[in-house]
Amino acid sequence: MSDVTEVCWLTVRQLSRALVNGEISIHDLVNVFLARAAEFNPASKAFIDVYADSARAHASTLAEQPGSGMLYGIPYGLKDLIDIKDHRTSAGSAVFIDNIASEDAHVVSQLTAAGAVCLGKLNLHEFAYGATGENALYGTAVNAYDSSRLAGGSSSGSAAAVAWGLSPFALGTDTGGSVRSPAALSGLVGLKPTYGRISMRGVTPYSWSLDHLGILSRDVRDCAVILQTLAEPDLADPGSTNRPTDHYLSEVDSLEDLTGRSIGVPRQFFYEHVDPEILSATERVISFLEKKGATVREVETPDLNFSRTVSLTIQMPEALSFHMPWLEQRAGDYGEDFRTGLALGQQILAEHYVRAKRLMTHYRTQIDDVLETVDILITPSTPIVAPKIGAVEVETEGLTEPVGNAMMRFTNFFNTTGHPAISIPSGMHSLGLPMGVQLVGKAFGEASLLAFAHLINSQWQFKLPLPKIN
Amino acid sequence: MPKDKPTLELLRTVGDTFGAHPFSDEDLSELVEPKLGMITSFKDLMDELDQLRTIDLGALPPALEIKTKDSTSDE
Repeated sequence: MSDVTEVCWLTVRQLSRALVNGEISIHDLVNVFLARAAEFNPASKAFIDVYADSARAHASTLAEQPGSGMLYGIPYGLKDLIDIKDHRTSAGSAVFIDNIASEDAHVVSQLTAAGAVCLGKLNLHEFAYGATGENALYGTAVNAYDSSRLAGGSSSGSAAAVAWGLSPFALGTDTGGSVRSPAALSGLVGLKPTYGRISMRGVTPYSWSLDHLGILSRDVRDCAVILQTLAEPDLADPGSTNRPTDHYLSEVDSLEDLTGRSIGVPRQFFYEHVDPEILSATERVISFLEKKGATVREVETPDLNFSRTVSLTIQMPEALSFHMPWLEQRAGDYGEDFRTGLALGQQILAEHYVRAKRLMTHYRTQIDDVLETVDILITPSTPIVAPKIGAVEVETEGLTEPVGNAMMRFTNFFNTTGHPAISIPSGMHSLGLPMGVQLVGKAFGEASLLAFAHLINSQWQFKLPLPKIN
Repeated sequence: MPKDKPTLELLRTVGDTFGAHPFSDEDLSELVEPKLGMITSFKDLMDELDQLRTIDLGALPPALEIKTKDSTSDE
């Protein structure tokens, strides 16, 4: 290729074309990203472990056995909750510092079968508990657009790796918005598919009822490529659906004229106490969709003021149940904040837990009904731009709340309903930081959701400049 | 209806009495008098849970597998 420094910003599809055309070898491509990680990981703190030797060895093997498919030879990073055989899964915690995986997670097996090359493990909030991505053990992954600010979390390293140009795409997990929120704050695309669409086998759980595996990529088409590979049903995962996959990639370009399509705008809750520039950017996306022919309709959602409480009431008892064996042995190795969260899990009555799970059904049914009347819902992804590292509270249009609550305010509800949701860039804030909009689709309606998202994502007015990293 | 503020002694009793992990006083204190900012108010959470009890959910079951109206393969 003419300029290898540009390689790190190319999409998966552009990289695949370059490999097929012989413009770059798999080995050189992997080395570009390894060199990039070596140069910028100290500043970004995206990676916890870089697998330089195994990535180069894998690249050599792939080069000897030419294959096909758009992920063949493409490097990627994994949130360090996801197992890769013979490597450590620390979950960002001293508790799992010696935890070596005996098998690949199902998603890793699928990516390996497709020829993708794992560059290493990515930073996160300890055990995915928390939206800020702050990690006392490994440091805090920082925002590519402003290194004094958070990349977002809990999939902080996944967002930072892609945004800093250290990896073409990354996998994360999303229990309350941990893929969509960092994607929005870091200028990326972040997809949380329908609950059960992607296998969680081999992924350290946080909250079984709410955990989703997610994708962070440079654009929506790449997201479709990766989802096509990951969405195959996994019969060995009790939580995985056996519903057949759709043709995400072939359908992603299917929308141009939106006549006959409708967009739902849930103005209550999702458009309140939002940074005015984020609100304006969201309205511009809505106007664009309307100009394309879509009918825009205000819709009502359930009362969401307690949705975080419902989520927390499910998360913490489930997390406590998983962590009990380690808590008994290594309580002192847990971060203070997470251990307190686990203590909270102990104090929630079974009555409250079951009620929260029933409210999940209630919420899910109500959103199903709303999505019978419109094709997608649209909301801001977050009410705020990336906060400063160390900020505790944030004030937004009259509402003061903990930073972590703000970062997940518009995302966590859709973990309780299980509907697919994607964050895509909506523009740049005057602070020089990315903003995002969230689209929510029908259950297992990822193909349609991605098509709407791509239509927006492919427009020049919603494109973001690259971060000025050098 | 707001309930009494939980006390350290009450929370400690749960672990001691109900066959649960004995969290340290330091951990439990964070629920009574939060300082870290993660658990902003256990008392508020309890009050909100109390309010959630007033929602009539009929015989609605806890969340199970996601179904769609056109779904046949999950059966």
